[in-house]
Amino acid sequence: MSELLDFLRLLFTDPFGLFDIPMREWVSDAVGWIVSNFRDFFRSHVSPPVRGVMETFQWALSSVPPLIFLALLYIIAWRAASWRVAVFAVIAFALIGFMGVWDQMIVTLSLIATGVFFCILIGLPVGILCSRSDWFYAVVRPILDIMQTTPPFVYLIPAVMLFSIGNVPGLVATIIFAMPPMIRMTNLGIRQVDNDYIEAAIAFGSTPLQILTKVQIPLALPTIMAGINQTIMLSLSMVVIAAIIGAGGLGLEVYAGLERLNIGQAFVGGIAIVLLAMVLDRITQGLGEKGPASRAKD
Amino acid sequence: MIRAEGVTKVFGKNAGSAIPLLEQGKTKDEIQAETGHIVGVKDANFELEPGEVFCIMGLSGSGKSTLIRCVNRLIDPTAGRIFFKDRENGEREITAMNDAELRELRKHDMSMVFQHFALFPHRTVLANTIYGLEIQHRNAEESQQVGRKVLDMVGLGGWEDAYPHELSGGMQQRVGLARALATEAKVLLMDEPFSALDPLIKVNMQRELTRIQKELDRTILFITHDLDEAMRIGNHIAIMDAGEVVQIGNPEDILVNPKTEYVANFVEHADPTGVLTAGTIVLPFDDTQFERVAENGELVYYVRRSHPEGFRFGIDRKRRLQAVVRPGHHESVEIAPLVQIAEHAAEIARTGRRDDIALRCDAQTVLRTVLKGRSCSTVPTVVTDADGRLRGIIDEPELIHGILEKRGHREHAEATAADEKPSAGGAG
Ligand SMILES: Nc1ncnc2c1ncn2[C@@H]1O[C@H](COP(=O)(O)OP(=O)(O)O)[C@@H](O)[C@H]1O
Ligand SMILES: [Mg+2]
Repeated sequence: MSELLDFLRLLFTDPFGLFDIPMREWVSDAVGWIVSNFRDFFRSHVSPPVRGVMETFQWALSSVPPLIFLALLYIIAWRAASWRVAVFAVIAFALIGFMGVWDQMIVTLSLIATGVFFCILIGLPVGILCSRSDWFYAVVRPILDIMQTTPPFVYLIPAVMLFSIGNVPGLVATIIFAMPPMIRMTNLGIRQVDNDYIEAAIAFGSTPLQILTKVQIPLALPTIMAGINQTIMLSLSMVVIAAIIGAGGLGLEVYAGLERLNIGQAFVGGIAIVLLAMVLDRITQGLGEKGPASRAKD
Repeated sequence: MIRAEGVTKVFGKNAGSAIPLLEQGKTKDEIQAETGHIVGVKDANFELEPGEVFCIMGLSGSGKSTLIRCVNRLIDPTAGRIFFKDRENGEREITAMNDAELRELRKHDMSMVFQHFALFPHRTVLANTIYGLEIQHRNAEESQQVGRKVLDMVGLGGWEDAYPHELSGGMQQRVGLARALATEAKVLLMDEPFSALDPLIKVNMQRELTRIQKELDRTILFITHDLDEAMRIGNHIAIMDAGEVVQIGNPEDILVNPKTEYVANFVEHADPTGVLTAGTIVLPFDDTQFERVAENGELVYYVRRSHPEGFRFGIDRKRRLQAVVRPGHHESVEIAPLVQIAEHAAEIARTGRRDDIALRCDAQTVLRTVLKGRSCSTVPTVVTDADGRLRGIIDEPELIHGILEKRGHREHAEATAADEKPSAGGAG
């Protein structure tokens, strides 16, 4: 009798104390299990390609003399967007150089390029698959939500456990964090293509692959470019955070500055990040708006 | 060339379940109310002869687009069969083809023109035109040559490198037509291709389509909601009402003998002058209408019974028309072919209508041409056959009657509709 009373009292005062889900232990165990079983696999099969791409970008970008870099930047920004954007880009990069963080910027740029490279490499085909199968998209969607909303710090630690510190875990975290918009926008862009065009393509005997490559992807390109733009922006923010686990570049500049209470150093890093972000954003936005696929329907 | 047998399309999850209901004779609305299924097309039968323009006409929502899409299987019919016949491969059943066979059919035998053009916005005019050839992996250079040639044909030479959005609606549809012509498919499916165009441009396009169709000898299935358009370009017209083909016939059949009130409503607002022929409106030369009044050697003279004091028509022993004599005269007026005079109608109208020339035409001449001739001469028009024998005359009563009365009207339609259950009969 008194046991039942105790139970009822507990039920009203502390219902969650009655039963405990040992989630912490489960996750710790799972991560521990993955780390102990797959660490070697990740280090031998995932790290090298990521590091290889990263080093290639870094080598290519840092071997261009700054003046030529600025000239190329001008041309790219001008072709992709407008001469205004081009002028702004050159001024912004020159400022970065004059503030003495050019080399750090090159590292950050290489990290972003690597992240975006893998995001496109994986995200584009996955996005295409999503657009072709409602079932597949239903499975992928919650995964994308998890990838995008989980606070980055939560998976920075497992990343370190798998890859140890350095650029690679930062990059892996970046790829996971920045990929969802690529998949979402590819899927959206393809699904949005007006059925009239698909019908016309079918009426002339196109195969599904021909419809995809000759009609759907070209017409989805502005949306896909918007996805790439978002992916670049997310990569940039993640690359900065990844400095905590040993990634280099501008993020490290900020992190190191804060650690040593050198506000000036942190501030310079911060300004450089903002400038870099603005330039990348304007150029990729221009690309999306200017391409032939963005021509209005009528 | 194309034959459709009992083609039915029901939209909805379990479309097949609606077929028995249709067979019980339930209407589109009843089925929609009972099962939620939408009947797009119900038991359509028709046949296209090689080289003809076959029009499908009906109000919006009557199932025209659904039917034409069944022909190249952009939509799979729920029931019924469609056949395609050509010289190389004989008769093949489109409704039995698998995906690969369908692609071959669409590549080589049937192309399509769309109401809203559906030009690819990211491709230039030339690249749009040769899309079908590109799909077939044809040699790029040859394709471009073909593309330029077809663009010239539709009057778009010089626009190869423009993008669709830089063109007017009429020009965009010319590209649509060029794209469909480039593959050299023998059959063209055209779903309201000119409906989105301004009236003047529309008439131009109709004329050019007719020219190109003759020049290239294509067979065309043409959809429209405009009966005048159907009558102007169609050899046969099928009229659709709420998913059913209610009448098939040549333009004049439809105009003169509308089978249902729905058709009669269309006909009432159609322009008959380009469709009705002299043979339909003529006052036939026979004893009930004409009276023998005199004989003069070789010729026998007749007058119209309702007009005994009017013109006298002299025929020889073989019934060939030899003389048209004005009241109060003895000599025949000049008898000239109508087509010759009609060409100079405007000129003659300026100098005044003549009363000393009778115009001769054959039974196939359309009312519009007869009217044109009439504006040149006050003498009744005479209709003769190939041997010059008199078939009858066309005077003012016949012209007025032809314009106002000859096309079927509602009273008549109701009478026929009652004893003749409207069904999608065979080809006209
Ligand atoms: N995909 C579809 N799903 C459901 N109903 C449809 C579909 N396509 C057409 N319909 C219906 O079928 C009927 C015929 O449509 P349609 O063939 O487009 O007519 P039309 O081309 O003569 O205007 C209409 O009632 C329309 O609402
Ligand atoms: Mg339609």
